Amino acid sequence: MKTLRRFLSPLLILALVLGTASVSVSAAPLPAGDLVSTQAALSAERGDADRERIHEILSRTEVQDQLIAQGVDLAEVDARVAALSDEEARQMAEQLEQLPAGASVVGALLVVFIVLLVTDILGLTNVFPFTR
Amino acid sequence: MQSRFIRLRQNARLAGVLLLGLVLLTGCASTPRLAETTQQAIPSQAWVDDVPFHAQREYQCGPASLAMVLNHDGVDVSMEALIPQVFIPGREGSVQPEMLATVRRHGRVPFVLNDNFDALLTEIAAGHPVVVMQNLSLPAWPMWHYAVAIGYDLEANELTLHSGEEAERIESFRRFDATWARSDRWAFVALAPGELPHGIGEQRALEATAAFEQVQGAVDTLPAWQALVERFPASGMGHFALGNARHAAGDLAGAIDAFRNAVAQRDDLGVAWLNLGLSLQADGETDEARQALRRAADLPGHWQPRAREALVQL
Repeated sequence: MKTLRRFLSPLLILALVLGTASVSVSAAPLPAGDLVSTQAALSAERGDADRERIHEILSRTEVQDQLIAQGVDLAEVDARVAALSDEEARQMAEQLEQLPAGASVVGALLVVFIVLLVTDILGLTNVFPFTR
Repeated sequence: MQSRFIRLRQNARLAGVLLLGLVLLTGCASTPRLAETTQQAIPSQAWVDDVPFHAQREYQCGPASLAMVLNHDGVDVSMEALIPQVFIPGREGSVQPEMLATVRRHGRVPFVLNDNFDALLTEIAAGHPVVVMQNLSLPAWPMWHYAVAIGYDLEANELTLHSGEEAERIESFRRFDATWARSDRWAFVALAPGELPHGIGEQRALEATAAFEQVQGAVDTLPAWQALVERFPASGMGHFALGNARHAAGDLAGAIDAFRNAVAQRDDLGVAWLNLGLSLQADGETDEARQALRRAADLPGHWQPRAREALVQL
């Protein structure tokens, strides 16, 4: 994925630069009523809109690959990625492995068990139902 | 004999480290306190009626919590249907961004709340069940968990949650806060478009609504933008977004109105002048369109080239 990214980034940058350049040179006719979208305006307010767009395209393909690798059903992947906001897609792409996944299971070691038992009794944790 | 002694010493050292760790931890846990204004604003007890309970199966606290809040708000979706939409088999759990994304797919707007007790209790008092993320264990051996907060009692200092396999579980504020703080007090509500959480900031409301619009389209988002400008009448971007949604819904006159409000609030919002000009042009008001586009073309920024182009073509 890293190499793919290294390979894709310059291509995308080039494509976007060329895209923007050709618009300003040839002044393609702008259809009446073609308004600037809210999403585009918000990302422009946040900073460099073009760079954000490159980032977003890369993020979404990356999230897609990662979800498939993590066993998510192929038929569901597109819809799942599409429902993420740009910011969330970026977050998923950059740190899916580190994101906490709510599941309520804990690795069971004896030392851990004892420590958690004590912290449960102290009211710091809530692992064992019988301590309440 | 010697080896036994060494082992004993090692055990003693381990115990010492653990004890120190516990002491450090206890230092941070205490019953959370509410701001004066919150205490006056909310009743001393509150309870959200009609939150159906779905007992989680293994690892499925994410889909179960989502089913509870969505069903409460009238979305007919089962926990079984939600599992393939939010659960990640490789992680044996569900991650926060996808919890929010799944709410969007089912036509509700997810709003992440401010990270404090005040926001949590205020939403419960307003009748909204709140999905919270807890680490029930310690940071070193996390046990991440989603639950749905549905009630509280200020006198008893207790919170009620649908959690795991237990409906209406009662947790003391202190213990709950200790486990909730480990997720940086992450919590969200799933609201129908047109509703907003009480203490939400303008920027976060804008981002949440725009993200919803990207998934569900402008027409379904109209009530949400309407509510946003009512809550934040001075939000230039809010009026601008409302204009775009009305335009997409085919309401040209309404769009022009909203864009006018946007520039009235923020005279420097070039993109609003641009869309105002383009809408006026589509409405046949060429003179007014020219004035607006001129203003857009004068303002430096990302949309200036596009505004100049539109002016030339007028």
